[in-house]
Amino acid sequence: MSAHEHEHEHDHPHAEITAEPAGYYEIMETAVRELLAEKGLIGPAEIRRQIEVLDSRTPALGAKVVARAWVDSGFRARLLADGRAGCEELGISFYDDTQLIVLENTQEVHNLIVCTLCSCYPRPVLGLPPDWYKEKPYRARAVIEPRAVLAEFGTTIPDDVEIRVSDSTAMVRYLVLPRRPDGTEGWSEEALAALVTRDAMIGVVPATLPETVQ
Amino acid sequence: MTDSAHLIAKLPNDIGGAEAGPIVMAEHTLLPWEKRCHALADVLDFKKIINTEEKRRGVEALGATVIGNLSYYERWIVAFGNILFQKGIITPEELARKMDEVEARHARAGGA
Repeated sequence: MSAHEHEHEHDHPHAEITAEPAGYYEIMETAVRELLAEKGLIGPAEIRRQIEVLDSRTPALGAKVVARAWVDSGFRARLLADGRAGCEELGISFYDDTQLIVLENTQEVHNLIVCTLCSCYPRPVLGLPPDWYKEKPYRARAVIEPRAVLAEFGTTIPDDVEIRVSDSTAMVRYLVLPRRPDGTEGWSEEALAALVTRDAMIGVVPATLPETVQ
Repeated sequence: MTDSAHLIAKLPNDIGGAEAGPIVMAEHTLLPWEKRCHALADVLDFKKIINTEEKRRGVEALGATVIGNLSYYERWIVAFGNILFQKGIITPEELARKMDEVEARHARAGGA
């Protein structure tokens, strides 16, 4: 799971980076923040609190939403009708004004999300986007050659399945609801959530069984 | 289109459909200052000081050369500075003096 990987990554580079001198842009960030605090426009505690909020948002939250939708058809319907309200029903608050549209993958349609203009992403339920989502190759190519992009993630979608690419905006974010893998009947919600990766909720890979499962 | 019309069909940020190379699936852990910058953006948004659209337009206003050469959060913080100048919330002189002060503080901390 990416949450686990993140925990591993988080400690080591952090220690290294602390020793480096502050660059020009880091100094600028500190200066802007301190000026705004001096003018009473923001409070220092608000920045620290928001860092804690950002740290608390991981793909595990989105996976919980997906798993609930897989086992509870009523919740699924409410989630597809209003993604933000569906997440809030599970206790996942939004810290901004964005709306969320959940896009269901079916036998006929595979969904992919992108932000061609910048990096809009469903941060309250997935955390921060991966670097590749923010960089030119994915942003540029997802809308014009999605099958080739998916192939670079090792994903092949049959020709008779439509691929729908949704371009995110400042106010509307998307989350892909991947298809539930075959062979998971009777699984617990927790076990199902473990199958759902960040990339499956972006749409670049499907949700799959672990290879060790027979 | 005329020769020059393509120049205004899309702004620098609007790269959907452009030619681009393979996707590099590297992922870096955010530096502490980058995470603070992200938190600052969120706080400015819910304080209604700078919203997401203004941030995007602020980054876009940097132009293709700067966008192509600064990293993601470097672009953000420069855009924030410019937007705050335009709104009269801070002045370039205030920022320059505060940056000098912060740099001196870092230098003292580094030397100690």
